[in-house]
Amino acid sequence: MHPDDNLELLMARYQEGDFAAASALIDRLSPQLYRFFAAQSVSRADADDLLQETWLRIHKVRHTYRPGEPALPWFYAIARHIRVDHYRKSIRASSGERELEAMSKISVVVSEKSDRADDLAALLAPLSPGERDVLEMLKVAGMSLEEVARATCSTVGSVKQKAHRAYKKLRVALSEVRLGNGQGGGLS
Amino acid sequence: MKDNEIDGVLKAAQAPHGPAPETLKRVTDSIRDSLRPVRPLPPRWVLTGGLILICAAIVLAGAARAGFFGIERMNPWQRVLIFSALGIFVVIAAKEYVNAMIPGSWRRVPAGALLGIGATLLIGAFALSFRDYRTDHFVSAGIVCLLTGLLHAVPAALLSWLLMRRGFAVNAVSAGLAAGTLAGLAGVGVLELHCSNFQAAHVLVWHTAVVPLSAAAGALVAWGLRLLRTSNR
Repeated sequence: MHPDDNLELLMARYQEGDFAAASALIDRLSPQLYRFFAAQSVSRADADDLLQETWLRIHKVRHTYRPGEPALPWFYAIARHIRVDHYRKSIRASSGERELEAMSKISVVVSEKSDRADDLAALLAPLSPGERDVLEMLKVAGMSLEEVARATCSTVGSVKQKAHRAYKKLRVALSEVRLGNGQGGGLS
Repeated sequence: MKDNEIDGVLKAAQAPHGPAPETLKRVTDSIRDSLRPVRPLPPRWVLTGGLILICAAIVLAGAARAGFFGIERMNPWQRVLIFSALGIFVVIAAKEYVNAMIPGSWRRVPAGALLGIGATLLIGAFALSFRDYRTDHFVSAGIVCLLTGLLHAVPAALLSWLLMRRGFAVNAVSAGLAAGTLAGLAGVGVLELHCSNFQAAHVLVWHTAVVPLSAAAGALVAWGLRLLRTSNR
């Protein structure tokens, strides 16, 4: 059974103006939405800001949730939209395309760090933003292929393809790290 | 390295800490202050049906004003082929527009592929229906039809936006593209009812061109609005 079975019910009550349901949704979904943002190479402060912005947007467009439909992809679709907006703004604010290219070429450095949010961000750094989204939703948030497809406005086939590519890149990156650490190097 | 080993690494690497408690308190407080019951969007089939009705109304109103010369000159075979293809394309575009305006929508086929299939159907129907390969007054007659089609796409786009204004597009450009395609199809509908120029090149180039031009305009407007919104924030 999916751990978020009652999300749809809570969402319907939230639409009816039930504060307890809204509060339950915030308590339940905030940690995983926070991890979604933290996995995308943003600082803790940025992840907090993005989470807050996401909830405000969710509140504003809560009427667009269709009762009876899966709620988790609806939340993630909005969170992803907020993240993409943030990404675009930060690119515009920085040196533009060159920065984007540099970000995607960051080498994987999985070291002993005190802030473990950095571990996941560094691990996912060689992936494209789309591949990062898919892997984070599938493996960290524990969503199904169909839920990820809904959240990313794509098809199950496209999600599978992105996950496959992401695994291929991660396999290469992690093997390099293992070789660098003398085969037995700890990764976490 | 096996997939399950990568899964283990991913699980171990995720952030153990959650959001700051003060962030959650701020969010909860702001939601409490403005929490009111809201009416969910109507079912998808209602929205899709509404969009199709808007298209049909624009097509009929436009042709009634300009004259039904085209459909009067068509044989029954041409009527069935062209309006079936147009109808299928309108349904595809309307569904895509609705999906684009509801976050977390389910897609079995990519949006681009669906629109491509619709366009191929329409071009195929035109190619099969018209066998006059002359090109008399190709540009002058073509420009008139192109403008007529685009002029009818504008009210279709405005009315469909009015119907879908409560939706939320997570990808504004995709939504604009779908809206523009639908509006362009309304323009093509008017042309098929009205235009009695059955030269294959005229129909294939100038009538069909209304759809990509209108779709591009829709995507451009959506992109511009998104740019404006993000730079104002």
